[in-house]
Amino acid sequence: MPIVRIKINGTEFEDEVEARLLLVSFIRAKARLTGTHIGCDTGHCGACTVLLDGRPIKSCMKLAVSAQGAEITTIEGLAEGGLHPVQEAFKSHFAIQCGYCTPGMLLSSYALLQNNPEPDPSEIRHALVGNLCMCTGYQQIIDAVSHAADQMKGKERIIDEN
Amino acid sequence: MKIEDILTTRNWVGKATPRLEDARHVTGEATFIDDLDMECYQAAILGSPYAHARIKSIDVSRAEQSTGVLAVLTGREVADQTQPIKPRAITEPVIQYAMAVDKVRYVGEPVAVVVAVNEYVAEDALDLIQVEFEPLTPVVEIADALKDDAPLIFEEAGSNVLLHDVMEHGNIEDAYQQADRIVKETFHIPRYSSTPLETWGMIVKYQKATDSFVVWANDQQHGRSITNLCHTLGIPADRLRFNVPDIGGSFGIKLALWPYIALMALLAKNVDRPVKWIQTRTLHLMAGSHAPDAELELELALRKDGKILGLSIKDTENDGSFIHTAGIYALIKFATMVGCYTIPATRAELRTVVTNRGPTVQNRGVGKPAMIFALERMVNLAAKELGLDPIEVRFKNFVQPDQMPYTTPSGEIYESGDYPQCLRKALELVNYEEWKQTQERVRQEGRYVGIGISCGIEPGTSNLGYYYTTSGTPEYTGNAEGAIVSIDFDGHANVMLGSVDSGQGHGTTAAQVVADMLAISPDVVTVNSQIDSLVSPFLGHSGVYSNKFNDVDLGAVIMATKKVRDKMFRIAAHVLELGEAELTLKDGSVQAIKHPDRSVPFKEIANLAYKRILMLPEGVEPGLKEIAYYKSPYAKLPSREDFNVQLTHSNSVHAVVVEVDVETGMVTFPRYLIVHDCGNQINPGVVEGMLIGSTVHGLGAALYEEFIYDEDGQLLSSTFIDYLKPTAAGIPRFETVSQETPCPYTLLGSKSAGEGGSITSLAAIANAVEDALSPFDVKVTGLPMTPEKILRAIQGTKEIR
Repeated sequence: MPIVRIKINGTEFEDEVEARLLLVSFIRAKARLTGTHIGCDTGHCGACTVLLDGRPIKSCMKLAVSAQGAEITTIEGLAEGGLHPVQEAFKSHFAIQCGYCTPGMLLSSYALLQNNPEPDPSEIRHALVGNLCMCTGYQQIIDAVSHAADQMKGKERIIDEN
Repeated sequence: MKIEDILTTRNWVGKATPRLEDARHVTGEATFIDDLDMECYQAAILGSPYAHARIKSIDVSRAEQSTGVLAVLTGREVADQTQPIKPRAITEPVIQYAMAVDKVRYVGEPVAVVVAVNEYVAEDALDLIQVEFEPLTPVVEIADALKDDAPLIFEEAGSNVLLHDVMEHGNIEDAYQQADRIVKETFHIPRYSSTPLETWGMIVKYQKATDSFVVWANDQQHGRSITNLCHTLGIPADRLRFNVPDIGGSFGIKLALWPYIALMALLAKNVDRPVKWIQTRTLHLMAGSHAPDAELELELALRKDGKILGLSIKDTENDGSFIHTAGIYALIKFATMVGCYTIPATRAELRTVVTNRGPTVQNRGVGKPAMIFALERMVNLAAKELGLDPIEVRFKNFVQPDQMPYTTPSGEIYESGDYPQCLRKALELVNYEEWKQTQERVRQEGRYVGIGISCGIEPGTSNLGYYYTTSGTPEYTGNAEGAIVSIDFDGHANVMLGSVDSGQGHGTTAAQVVADMLAISPDVVTVNSQIDSLVSPFLGHSGVYSNKFNDVDLGAVIMATKKVRDKMFRIAAHVLELGEAELTLKDGSVQAIKHPDRSVPFKEIANLAYKRILMLPEGVEPGLKEIAYYKSPYAKLPSREDFNVQLTHSNSVHAVVVEVDVETGMVTFPRYLIVHDCGNQINPGVVEGMLIGSTVHGLGAALYEEFIYDEDGQLLSSTFIDYLKPTAAGIPRFETVSQETPCPYTLLGSKSAGEGGSITSLAAIANAVEDALSPFDVKVTGLPMTPEKILRAIQGTKEIR
């Protein structure tokens, strides 16, 4: 069986795995990071979204062996020091109900804000099109991401002024 | 009890307090069933590939011998070791077990279960099971099931109709005679589901020494599941401990797990580790329960001025083949049939049909969405036939606020609401008249805009006994829930709810109420909305369903908190040597009203109650933890003459502006406005979330979602690429407006809030699409209104069905 080495949230995980083991199973079962959820197994729901070398991917659509040497960020690794503004915004905007989609939704939102610090609502909607939420109807999620973008901009401005 | 006597402060109730649940969700710390850290074996289910077939033989020997496989279970063993599933509403005698025995009745029905070291090995082993099927003619459509020579789904019933009931209330014949016009239409309700993002999951551990089971499951109604499992497995209640962790959405779809728990329990007995089963999404969509499809015929008897004199419905519902649910939707449609209107006479003919489609369960709204869709479409169609404005017809027939409490012909008591005011507000805020002019103008440019209105009723808190009015003595009646509230030894409040939360923010809401009752901050109130049957309150119907939380669940929290509060007053009065009437609550202390410097902190009271018990006043029990059960005092025993199916009634108006692209058939939403009334809101942020979420559920059903079967009974939409859900990109910007008519039947004046959007949205969107397409003379009689159906209607069929 192949040996796979993957860095998740800064920690190296190495294990002998079956070639068919999905990346999401590696993250959940081998690294025991259960914040990455499985909602469909077929790549449509986005609950298993993680960042692979900074890009959002659906970890149920990738074999663990094909992530050899990659750096993964899961929901457990999103907060550095304190919560990221997008995590705070989800809390303040009622963007969460059951919470099952939340980790994937947050990582997609985070990736959007990294690439596009000033997304308009339409850009937010399209960035989240691969993440299904069955509870909220999305509106408060879209508003939360928008708010996070504003907050992050504000923060940068303060830094610039200094 | 008055609200003033319940709430000491008004700092939290009624405010959009941020949810206490969210901190765990944004960091990935929430613990869903698949996240529990336990060494388990994994189960995989062999689902039937046929919709209807006899099982001639099953050979599991190769699977059993396969490396890593620990146990295999088949239907015969299930029939030998368990009791059949008990029906509720249907009247024909049928026998069904938790697994297919001798015959399969739908694609995906469990035929065998394998337990192995992990899910990969278990799934592999399924391929080694050899089943010889003898295919039978599948019965897929309602019409096929009703044919005289139709193959029987349950031979022992002698018919595919498992419930046929007719109920008349008021004088329907008189209504027909006095009417100037009888308007008729048949509506086609598709099969759809709220599809919680987390599928079904469970872990069952067998404890040999005590011959007992421990269950963990994402089950939304543990009370009924415990009751049913004890019956099915033939075990006493003390042999079953039932735990519910975090739940990733439920919407009623997680009411039907328990037969699968029974299967895992049988397997767990034969292996030395807990058995875990996590349903795949494909199996969830195939066999994890749907809202039933139905044909709903309506006849509306009206005077020519638009006054409705009578309504007759004939509901034929395709319940697939899960007999535990069969018939329930029909009864709830009946109970909701007059909507927001004073209709003096009604007749309901209800038929529940079984076919080889997947099982059904009580999905969000349970028949109310279908009924209000049909009724609110009917009002528009009737107005058109009579040459009247559909808005005027609604105003003419509304139950008026001064008629409240209003009793419908069949005994439903509408306790509160101002339906005309909701509609007036919606018309004004959406600029109804202006859109009518816009519609005319843009048509000159080849653009098709339509405006649709729907007025829906959202009944909540089920009075459970009505299921059984068809078959005799109710097994369950009324509605109630329990709660445990304590002040811990450190002075903080601790609440254990009797029902689970599956996204509704129950913990936050309960904390707000407790905080205001005890004059403290929700920060020092911990609410546990997970369930452990060893310690949680129990009732046979404990769980989350029928929008009962705001009513009886919070009622139980209030009553338990009151017990604690009364006791704290008694202890503090003793300490301060004052009368209880001279005391109040402030900042985590019991304080003398006239001498604010004289007070006893909760912590000190708790110290007396838990530790220095000899210093308690005479007759006061040690401890500061109380349990209370609260039942709706307005529930009455239902009879066929006087039902009272639901105990609170919210309402809403959806005013929707759509634009239909007649080249592509796509629908977009320039406006989507909702005016709703769910009484006093405890947390408007939570309420708005559920209002929008439930509306998007309806939007999906109106435009995209349908479980489509081919003539062999194979499900064609078994992934989220074929079964299309709304995404962030396809939904409108919702504008929501609240009207708060306090409910006189609940302690805090609240009413149901979780289903409303899914009920009222369907007809609003359909009315808007029909209005947009009026130049093409298109009629909407069915859902979903997919681009294909819209284009076909424009191109000649004239009907979206």
